[in-house]
Amino acid sequence: MEFELDEEQQLLRRSVRETVTKVRGRPEKQQWETYLRLGWLEAPPLELALILEELGYAADPTPFLATATWFAPLTGRLPEGSGTAVFDGIGRYVLDADRADEVALLTHRGVTVVPGAELAAERVPVLDPHLHAAHVDADGLVAAVPDLALLGLAATCVGACRRVLDLVLDHVKQRVQFGRPLGSFQAVKHKAADMHVAIERARALTHFSALTIAEDDPRRADAAHMAKAAAGECQRLVFRHGLQLSGAMGFTWENELQYHLKRAQACDLLLGTASVHRKALLA
Amino acid sequence: MKLADDPEVEEFRAQFAAFLDAHLPEEAEARERAGSSAHVPAWARRWQRTLFDAGWLLPGQPPEYGGRNAGLPQQLAHLEELARRRIYHSFNPQGLGIIAASLLTFGTEEQKRRWAVPILRAEITAALGMSEPEAGSDLAALRTRAVADGDGFVVNGQKIWTSGAHDADVLLTFVRTDPEAPKHKGISALLIPTGTEGVVRRPFGSIAAEDDLDFNEVFLTDVRVPRENLVGPLGEGWRVANGSLGHERTLLWLSYAERLEDLLLDAADAGAGQEWYATLRMDLTALRLLGYRQLGPDRDPAEISVLKLLGSEAVQSASLHVLEAHGAEGLEHPGRTGPYHHMHHEHFISSWFERYARSFAGTIAGGTSEIQRNIIAERILGLPR
Repeated sequence: MEFELDEEQQLLRRSVRETVTKVRGRPEKQQWETYLRLGWLEAPPLELALILEELGYAADPTPFLATATWFAPLTGRLPEGSGTAVFDGIGRYVLDADRADEVALLTHRGVTVVPGAELAAERVPVLDPHLHAAHVDADGLVAAVPDLALLGLAATCVGACRRVLDLVLDHVKQRVQFGRPLGSFQAVKHKAADMHVAIERARALTHFSALTIAEDDPRRADAAHMAKAAAGECQRLVFRHGLQLSGAMGFTWENELQYHLKRAQACDLLLGTASVHRKALLA
Repeated sequence: MKLADDPEVEEFRAQFAAFLDAHLPEEAEARERAGSSAHVPAWARRWQRTLFDAGWLLPGQPPEYGGRNAGLPQQLAHLEELARRRIYHSFNPQGLGIIAASLLTFGTEEQKRRWAVPILRAEITAALGMSEPEAGSDLAALRTRAVADGDGFVVNGQKIWTSGAHDADVLLTFVRTDPEAPKHKGISALLIPTGTEGVVRRPFGSIAAEDDLDFNEVFLTDVRVPRENLVGPLGEGWRVANGSLGHERTLLWLSYAERLEDLLLDAADAGAGQEWYATLRMDLTALRLLGYRQLGPDRDPAEISVLKLLGSEAVQSASLHVLEAHGAEGLEHPGRTGPYHHMHHEHFISSWFERYARSFAGTIAGGTSEIQRNIIAERILGLPR
C-alpha cells in the first residue's frame, strides 16, 4: 500500500488551514457559507478527514461535522442547510440536533428526515461553550452508527489534539524558569514526545479508516473502530499532559487551550469512548 | 494514498515467494541452532549463499552484492515474505545489515571484495564494536584509542555489549583517532580481525540464561591494525556509524511489527475478549501504516524514532499483558508459547516470562526509548536541547 498524502491532498490541507485561519472569529454563518462555497461538504472520505482534522484544530463552531459525517452517510445526500442524524437508537446527546435545518432519524421503518424546527430536541448544558448536543424525543429509534460518523469524530479529535500539542510547544519554548526554557527539561520533552507519538498513531488510523471507506474495503468497520478508539486514547494522554504542561495558564478561561481540550474530550465521549470501540473490535 | 500495492511490487513479491517455496531449507537440515548473532550453522550459511547467488539476499544492492537494484517498497515486500515464513535471510544480522552495508557505502573496492562479499556470502561473520563501558547512549564519548604507527594503527581500549564477538571473524570497531578534536569529529572506523594478537573476547550471559551467550566484553591491547582496514576517511567514523544504518534503519520497524504479529497469533486465546488485545491490533496496524509512510520520498529521518518508540514499547506492553493473562503459569520456563516451526525454534521454547524480559532489548538497544523521546522532542517538535 501507499500511505503518503499526494500533492493534491497536501495542497488541500494547506488551503483548508489558511481558509480556517482567515475566517476564524467571523460570524459563524459566514464561516459556514465559506465551507459550503468551497465544496468541503462534498469531499470524499480521505479529503473529508483532512478537512475535519483542520476544523478540529480550529475548534470550528459550525455544524459541519454532523452535516458531513452524521446526516450525509445516513441519508446518502446533503441537507438543505445543515443537518444531523439520530442513529444511536435512543436519541441522547445528538450533535447539533437543537440547531440543524434537517434531522435524519433511523427507525425500524428506515430513515426519515424531519425539518429541525419540527423536531422535539432539547439542548443539553455542557462544559464546552461551543458544543451543541441535544436529546431527541422520537419513537421507534434503532441503532446503527455509520463508519463515517466514527471517522469524523476521530479526525476532529486528532486535529484538536494537534492544536493542544502546538499550544504546549509554544508555551514551553517561551516560558523560562530556573534560567532555562521549560522545554529544555527532559520531563517536559518526554511528555511532548509521547503526545506526538499518540497523535501520529491516531492520525494514521483515521487515514486508514478513510481509505477503507473510500474503497469500500471489507476492513472498513474494524478500521472505523480503530480510528475512534485510537483518537480516544490519544486525547486521554494529550488532555492530561497538555493541561499539566500548560501550568496554571491552561487552567484559565482566557487561555484558548480550554476549547481544544474540551473538543478533544467530547470527541471521545460521543458515540462511545475508546473502551467501547476496543470492545467492538474484539466482537 | 491507496490500499493496494503497485503491480510491480506485487510481481516482485510473487517472484520471491516462488523462489522461497522452491528453496527453503528442509526441517531435517535446519536442526542446528545459531549459538549467537555471529554464529551461523552450516545449513544457514548454505541458505544465505543460495539467496546471495540468486540476488535475493539484499535486493536493494546490485547483483554483485547479492541483490537486484530493487526499490524500497520491494525491499519491504522481501522482508515481509521472509517473516511470513519465519525465516531470517542471515543469522548474522549485524554483519549483513550494518557491517557489510557500511562497507558497501563507505569502503574501498578492496574492502568490499575482501570483507563485504565474504560476509554477504556467509563465508565469514562480523560483529559491531560500538558501545564502551563509559559510552553507551552517549556513543560519541567513546575512548578506545587508535594511534597512527608506521603504515597502520595501534589500538588500545575496551568495548562492551559487542553482540556475537566471540563467534565473529572480524569486528567493525569505532575508535578515537584524534583526542584533540570535538567528540564527534575524532572518531574513525577500523576493521579488526578477531584473530589479531591483543584481541581478547569474553562472552557473558543475558537475563534469559547464563549460557545465552551473545553479549561480549572485548579487550584491545596494543592491537596492530593495517591502514588499509580504515573504513571511510580518517576522523569520519561518526558519519560511518550513522550512515551505515541507512535503509536498514528505515525498515527496522518491520521487526517490531513482525513481533507484534507473532504476539497477536500466539496470544489469541489469552487475549480473547481483552481490551489490551484490541490495543495490540491497533498498535500493529498503526505501526505498519507509519512504516509504509516512511517509504515515501523526503521523509525526516528523525521520524524513525517514532517508529522505534511505538514498535518497541508496544511489543513490551503486549508481552506484559500476555504474561499477566497467564498468571502463575507464566512463570514456567522453558514454555511453549508459539507454534513449532523448524526455522523459528526460539519462539517455540521461550516462556512468556522470557519473551517479556527479552522485550527490553527493543527499548534499550539501538538508542533507548529515552533517547528516542529526546530525538522526537528536539528534532521533530523543535524543543531546545
